[in-house]
Amino acid sequence: MILRFEITNGSRSPALAESVELGDDGTISGWRTVSPAGVGWFAGRLPEAELAEVRALAGAVRTAPAPSLARPGASTETLDLDATGPYSIAGSRDGLAVAARWLVQRLTDFPRAAVTVTHPSPEVARLEHRGTEPLRLDLTSVAVSAAVWRGYYEPAGTWSGVIGGPGEMEAGPGWTLDLPLEIDAPADPGITVHLAVDFAIRHGGSSMPVEARYEPDIEAPE
Amino acid sequence: MTAPEGPIPGQRIVKPADAPDTNVPGPLRLPAAGNAAIARLLQSAPSPAALGDLMQLAGNSLLARIALPSAPAGGAPPAPAGLAGGATGSEIADLQMKLSRLQASAAPLTEDGKFGPLTEAAVRTFQGSNGLEVTGQPDAATRTAVDTAFAALSPPVRVQVALGSTGLDVGFAQQKLNAAGATPRLAINGVFDNTMLGAVIAYEIVAVHRFPQGIVDATVWAALDAGTQGGFVADEGASNTPIEQLTPSGTANALGVQVAGTSLHPVTGVGGLTSGPAVHELQQKLNTAGATPPLKDDGSFGPKTRAALQAFQNGKVPVTGTADAATWAALDAAAPATTTGSISRTWDEVVGGATYGLTSNYSWEIQKTRMVVTAKVNFVGLAPPAAWFGHVPAKWNQFQGVDPATGRTMPIDFQMTRGGGGDSNTVEVKRGNDRANAGEWYLGDTDAANTIPHEYGHLIGLQDEYQLHPADYVRVTGHEPPVGDAGGPATPPATIATGIQAAMVARSGVAAKAATVGAGLKPGAYAQRVVAEYALLAPVNLAAVAEVPGPPKITGLPAFTTTGEVLSDLDNALRDDLPRYDTIQVLSYSSGSIMGDQSRVKDPHDHGAQPRHLAQFMTILGQALGGTWEARRR
Repeated sequence: MILRFEITNGSRSPALAESVELGDDGTISGWRTVSPAGVGWFAGRLPEAELAEVRALAGAVRTAPAPSLARPGASTETLDLDATGPYSIAGSRDGLAVAARWLVQRLTDFPRAAVTVTHPSPEVARLEHRGTEPLRLDLTSVAVSAAVWRGYYEPAGTWSGVIGGPGEMEAGPGWTLDLPLEIDAPADPGITVHLAVDFAIRHGGSSMPVEARYEPDIEAPE
Repeated sequence: MTAPEGPIPGQRIVKPADAPDTNVPGPLRLPAAGNAAIARLLQSAPSPAALGDLMQLAGNSLLARIALPSAPAGGAPPAPAGLAGGATGSEIADLQMKLSRLQASAAPLTEDGKFGPLTEAAVRTFQGSNGLEVTGQPDAATRTAVDTAFAALSPPVRVQVALGSTGLDVGFAQQKLNAAGATPRLAINGVFDNTMLGAVIAYEIVAVHRFPQGIVDATVWAALDAGTQGGFVADEGASNTPIEQLTPSGTANALGVQVAGTSLHPVTGVGGLTSGPAVHELQQKLNTAGATPPLKDDGSFGPKTRAALQAFQNGKVPVTGTADAATWAALDAAAPATTTGSISRTWDEVVGGATYGLTSNYSWEIQKTRMVVTAKVNFVGLAPPAAWFGHVPAKWNQFQGVDPATGRTMPIDFQMTRGGGGDSNTVEVKRGNDRANAGEWYLGDTDAANTIPHEYGHLIGLQDEYQLHPADYVRVTGHEPPVGDAGGPATPPATIATGIQAAMVARSGVAAKAATVGAGLKPGAYAQRVVAEYALLAPVNLAAVAEVPGPPKITGLPAFTTTGEVLSDLDNALRDDLPRYDTIQVLSYSSGSIMGDQSRVKDPHDHGAQPRHLAQFMTILGQALGGTWEARRR
């Protein structure tokens, strides 16, 4: 193992519980609970160039640095290296901390059993399976919320609703589920809609609440 | 429930970003009429017609979340004279409190000092039921009538309590004994035990001047009530909503605890700041200390400033030509007063049993007619939206310094500017809508109007006001912890405490929440009995828990030995999840202010920015201008 990194925060709902592990051979795997690029299980292999960069950063660490206090309200960020064991990097902006956070984002490029949300039409939020393996979903109650922005993140309205879903089910490759939206955002190029869909992923006897997000970029003004 | 008030019906429920994101109203489906209203809002700024739609749909929680255009920079102005009878914000806040207690308002009014439609409606109701002309304006006659009616309200009914008594009244007596200086402080647990007996006896001797009887009877209550206001539950609004009245205790210090050995001054000069407010402050102090020739107060650290600094240092501190902590201490002693200053405050806080910390960089300038407080932010990552810069004055520019002895006033304006350098704060701007903290803000935050002012509070040195230990709550808010729920559920405190420890052994936040919240435990006196019972339990060694590979992976936990301090034990023993957070919440204290937990704590009396949040600047005004200043709503 080169590193293992976790971000947790139980003060939000659903709780943040992101993890990524990078193996010596470049295998990258982990779990996302709140993400615009899909929630669920991700696994793949990091290209050699990227792997070498992270390996060099991790290899340069011999002992865990003195812990720094997390900023008020910050999530718990724990980095685990073979040489150090787990230690907090909350508030750190050093190269390895930045790389670890980047790996959490990079992870979503390797979906194994995940679900993402898209916005194919103004009236629809669509859940889509990503990856090669199925996963069980609890869609008994699906909470959908939308934030409407004008220009560069100028608030223009919010909407939320709870939709009675199809219950517990298995989602595999090709699976989609359309969720109705009732928001009349005008078809204006200056308007951007962001979505968040809350449901749960089942594993064994437990349920893990997750939030799939749809967040197209908004260009900053010049 | 309280009714937040603003210029438009349906003001949003507010929360700080780094406060819990739970307890949101149940999502609802938006009816078609609401969609039409939204569509009209989306076209442009809200038109009167669109607002009319909203008015008709008042009460629809979805519409309540429709965002309105940002308040103009400069913040909330005083209420127009024609609308609020020329009253200041403080007078309006006082009026709101009294109208609520007189049950002239439909629901308890939020004491925000803003004369909105709910306050106006309450004024109309009061006028109508008291034979006054119904204008909706708090003219002099109306205010006099309100004051008279308020003064005529029945005092709280006090019950005699003695050793062995339990309940709300015991809790209120404990609050007032603490406010009177009980040593050691009494836990607000609603139990008249031997510790409280000692405090009562001491109070009887010192304050009541009688042979001690060890009881809080009518005489002792009268003295306690005369000494400290609050400490009872009053029905507010026509809704008869029971609201616990706050009990002031000591002087609030809302700042994070300064880390020992740190200076409030940034290093200035070679190797530190060489321009800006810190240099202005240095030059002013050097001039006051006798710099010859006097320095030009230009905020630029050049050879003349360095030479004057070295001259000052000579014989007092090592002559370095740089203003370090020791030099600043000498300068502060020689020349405490300046009109400009720069602060670099390194502080920490304990929230939810965990310790957090920050260095806040900010500056202030006393101008002819106002004081300006600036937090400069070095935004990294993505560009911050323009609206964020308006959120700060909208929430914070509501106060002025007042020197009652002279009648002098000085509005305090807060601003957030963009810039780098050693006197800036670094904030990373990120995509999405996650939980913000003092160093990470999110573009997709739909509650940025509250999030940014909360985080700004951290940038001027203020700590969080949620999930606090009792002593921290008192220090930060200047109020005794509320008695809250004194009766508790049927489960004895010791049983709940044992259940909490068992949940830690099981490493289960779900079990901890079941043992507390699930058992009916609510914040307040009974929960503090649980805290005390937990402290009596023998420590247990919790073995390390291996991770479950998953998917989903369930993280492992390191070995841990409990300490008896329940908040930190929960923080250390359990995974960082929502059940753990909910468990800590019920065993701790949170305020409803801008630095508190507004999504969970609704407190019409402690809402938004409060005078305590400006106390440091009142001290500065006193140093610079003389007198004793206090923050009041404009």
